[in-house]
Amino acid sequence: MRFSSFTYLVGQGLHSMKANRLMTLASMGVLTVCMILVGTAFLFGVNVDAVVQYMGSQNESYVYPAEEATDEQIQALGDQIAAVPGVSEVVFVSREEVLSQWDSMLSEYTSLYSALSEDNPMPQMFRVSVQDVGQMQSIVEQIQALPNVDEVSAAFDTASTFLSLQRVVNYICIGLVLVLALVSIVVISNTIRITVFARRKEIAIMKLVGATNGFIRFPFFVEGTASGLLAAAISSGIVCGAYYALYRWYLEHPTNIGQLFGGTLVPLQQVWYFVVGGFVVFGFVLCGIGTATSIRKHLNV
Amino acid sequence: MIQFEHVTKVYETQNDENVALDDISLHIEEGEFVFVLGHSGAGKSTFLKLMLMEEKPTEGRVFINGQDLTRLRRRKVPYMRRQMGVVFQDFRLIPTMTVYENVAFAMRVTNISTKTIKNRVPFALSLVGLEDKMDRLPDELSGGEQQRVAVARALAHGPKLIIADEPTGNIDPELSMDIMQLFEAINKVHITVVVVTHEHELVQKLAGKYHNRVITLAHGQVAADTAHPGVAQQYEARMRAMGMEPVLL
Ligand SMILES: Nc1ncnc2c1ncn2[C@@H]1O[C@H](COP(=O)(O)OP(=O)(O)OP(=O)(O)O)[C@@H](O)[C@H]1O
Ligand SMILES: [Mg+2]
Repeated sequence: MRFSSFTYLVGQGLHSMKANRLMTLASMGVLTVCMILVGTAFLFGVNVDAVVQYMGSQNESYVYPAEEATDEQIQALGDQIAAVPGVSEVVFVSREEVLSQWDSMLSEYTSLYSALSEDNPMPQMFRVSVQDVGQMQSIVEQIQALPNVDEVSAAFDTASTFLSLQRVVNYICIGLVLVLALVSIVVISNTIRITVFARRKEIAIMKLVGATNGFIRFPFFVEGTASGLLAAAISSGIVCGAYYALYRWYLEHPTNIGQLFGGTLVPLQQVWYFVVGGFVVFGFVLCGIGTATSIRKHLNV
Repeated sequence: MIQFEHVTKVYETQNDENVALDDISLHIEEGEFVFVLGHSGAGKSTFLKLMLMEEKPTEGRVFINGQDLTRLRRRKVPYMRRQMGVVFQDFRLIPTMTVYENVAFAMRVTNISTKTIKNRVPFALSLVGLEDKMDRLPDELSGGEQQRVAVARALAHGPKLIIADEPTGNIDPELSMDIMQLFEAINKVHITVVVVTHEHELVQKLAGKYHNRVITLAHGQVAADTAHPGVAQQYEARMRAMGMEPVLL
């Protein structure tokens, strides 16, 4: 194809968008809403993944020795725990240390340390790390069987909750993407159908004077994909902007619950290219499919 | 140039079959000027549509420049059409485009360079005497002028064959002669012309003057052909054998 033909056809497509601007705006609006929903679901999913990963990295269990155990027995227990296969690290945490940790975590609200240092109610414990979270269950059972063990608390309860949440979020995301993809295809297909109808005379003449099918179709693809790309640009702006604002707000308003989950959202720098790239592909591919289906049906070329 | 070999065209409709062309064989030479006459429903438009590949024959074969159209790949159809120019009764101009753009548009879609288009459009319009009305919209022209724009459009890409389906059907009778004369002029530069029309008197006048060939269709058959006087007799004999009066028009 000649370059002048190419620019001519692109011009025709864009001109047609302008001529049908109401319809173009409507379909772009629907596309934008679809993309924003998909983007939101994606970012939510990314953050759930990040939390799950954070929880996984925090795969520590706490082993509380029996109250009546002597220092020697506690020390022996530490060695026995370290000997359990799969345990990578055992750290003893004294009552003092536990208290000061809680104190720093709650420093905004109260001064635990000064109130409780006289008669420290915090239990001493071993912080146990394992090599593989998958083995956590069996390791916990083995430690529980050791003498002088009062209680073992493992993080895997929260971790597994998040794992199943992650799965649910993933399913919802996939479902949402599929439904919204279908909606987008139908919307674009409809818009293009209207354009084809509006230009049916020109198309008939083009066919008669020997325009190739590709030549006839091209402007419709320009129109369809340009709407898709414009919608992608708008949604990228909205989603990334809103996410950045949320990210900043989250950082500036730390909460204890937030700290438990890692204390931060996944930064925009790490996800923006997925969002923008995804939108561009989403817009381009779906609008291409939408255009193709409607051309198939109504252009007979 | 154009060859029909035992061509039959049957339109299938929901409740019946409509035989539009019935075993037609004929040959049109390069550079010929042919009028096609016939009553309404005789199959004239179908005859043209087969040449334009808008319809496919039910039986038989159609050749243009030696190319069998029934065996032409779909992808090649546009390139075949570029060798022809078509003019219709209803002009088929795009109302939102100026005269210039209407002609340029038809050239542009066949991948002709912008430079060539800029030269060729004014030239084609001057051939039909409309170079001073290039910037008008079709609505601002008379019927005869609109049809001349359509002729310019059909000529602009330099076809070897011009096909016209009742080109004077929507034009004041006084102007019909002008349009027909235009086709005669086109034929002078060795472009083959096939014109379907209802206007017998006009055809009588022109065919006599320019020695044009006249083919008459009736009920899907060739009822007469001035290039082959025997055809009319054969048709008459066939009709009588079936116990019918031969109707020509
Ligand atoms: N698309 C179609 N479907 C069914 N039948 C058709 C179709 N096109 C034409 N016919 C039939 O085929 C026959 C020939 O039609 P055609 O249009 O070729 O006639 P014509 O000679 O051009 O007539 P006119 O002078 O009225 O334009 C007619 O009986 C018509 O009803
Ligand atoms: Mg007709």
